[in-house]
Amino acid sequence: MKQLIELQVNGETYAVPVSPRDLLVDVLRKKLGLTGTKKGCGQGDCGACTVLVDGEPVLSCLTLAIACRGKKITTIEGLAENGRLHPLQQSFVDHGAIQCGFCTPGMILSAKALLDRNPAPPEEEIKRGLAGNLCRCTGYKKIVEAVGAAARALTAGNLAGPPPEEPAAGEPAGALPANGEVKS
Amino acid sequence: MLLPEFEYFAPGTVEEVLALLERFGDGAKILAGGTDLLLMMKDKVIRPRCLIDITGVAALNGIRYTPGQGLIIGAAAKIAVVERSPVVREKYFALHQAAGELGSAQVRAMATIGGNSCHASPAAETPPPLIALGAKVKLQSRAGERELPLADFILGNRQTALRNGEILTGFFLPEPPPNSASRYQCLGLRDAMEIDIVNAAVNLVLDEDGATCRDVRIVMGSVAPAPLRARQAESTLAGRRLDAAAIEEAARIAAGEAKPISDLRASAEYRREVTAVVVKRALQQAFYALTAGPNKGGLCS
Repeated sequence: MKQLIELQVNGETYAVPVSPRDLLVDVLRKKLGLTGTKKGCGQGDCGACTVLVDGEPVLSCLTLAIACRGKKITTIEGLAENGRLHPLQQSFVDHGAIQCGFCTPGMILSAKALLDRNPAPPEEEIKRGLAGNLCRCTGYKKIVEAVGAAARALTAGNLAGPPPEEPAAGEPAGALPANGEVKS
Repeated sequence: MLLPEFEYFAPGTVEEVLALLERFGDGAKILAGGTDLLLMMKDKVIRPRCLIDITGVAALNGIRYTPGQGLIIGAAAKIAVVERSPVVREKYFALHQAAGELGSAQVRAMATIGGNSCHASPAAETPPPLIALGAKVKLQSRAGERELPLADFILGNRQTALRNGEILTGFFLPEPPPNSASRYQCLGLRDAMEIDIVNAAVNLVLDEDGATCRDVRIVMGSVAPAPLRARQAESTLAGRRLDAAAIEEAARIAAGEAKPISDLRASAEYRREVTAVVVKRALQQAFYALTAGPNKGGLCS
């Protein structure tokens, strides 16, 4: 039995028909077309499906979409602003911290949650913050370096990160954005 | 992996939760963090007709400390919130440590302290420190409220004293006595995202002389169907001046009290050996914290 719910993703409000059993990862990918979020193990082990819910890193393969009503969801598509990569994304590119790229969206969102809470983490804290994200191309060293460099860049103000998932003021709730085609 | 069909409710009050439990009976499951429940549903181990999401119930959230009395932690408080709580870190350090060792950052952001006890995995991280710290669980049903020591709530592997129509609403931890310190230690196959081979929490109280053990609680996890008090080891230490030899002896006795099994993570023999190591480290760290100054966070090793 589907019901229409509103989901706030990357600052846009989408009206989406969901069943209670629909997982957030599937709704993001299949109904909103936000395929940057990857579905790996489906068991909460690999972290590829990590998105931010109210700023916290969450496994979207173990989260019911219907439980996300009224919460702010950030996916990898929500980080770049005006075509400019977020400092974390840019740092991953600059440091060669991407190989096949499957783990990258989850890695970057876990890193963002870490840096939002702890802007200058020591290396051990970076490793701890990323411990729930597996990379099978064995690129951890470059990933840890990329996060450290992004942290330094962000705290030094060399690269202005775009503000988090705040919707534009006065935007009507419930309006389907132009790009928010919804399949049922 | 699809989830089976179910109805979903997100009540706002404990009363509404209890009314739904009465209506659906055995067909209802409480959804808190979902990191264990939804996995069991994906694996078709359970097929509840309805999920009652308690994360929006304000009365089940939050951490409230009353100086001189103690701490109340709502059942739906996230593990990450427990880990970051300044009062938990300052006064209930073993719980702070165990919360920080649970799963990954994502799992800690999702999972709840109530779920960790209600799921009743023998390897769970937070029950041993909670029991060592003297935690009681607060239970509520339409018949009323009751309190139980957490040690009497977790009965075995996936078994609790929760009755039909009853929910866990929170934990009460008494104010720690003066001259006391708690520490947690664990051992897994690797440092992150592992299920513990053995874990242990100790809560040590010293006399005013700063050397004699007035009271100690040692609780071991993953060595029995439920968290296990090492009562003989505790009584060995009570009233005794602590030194390396006393701690070593108590750790050996605790290992003898463990009832480990062999499984894919470790053999029973290995578990028993490392139980002594893990208990010894936890005792050493608690003693060190009370006798050698600043708190040192214990990492898994």
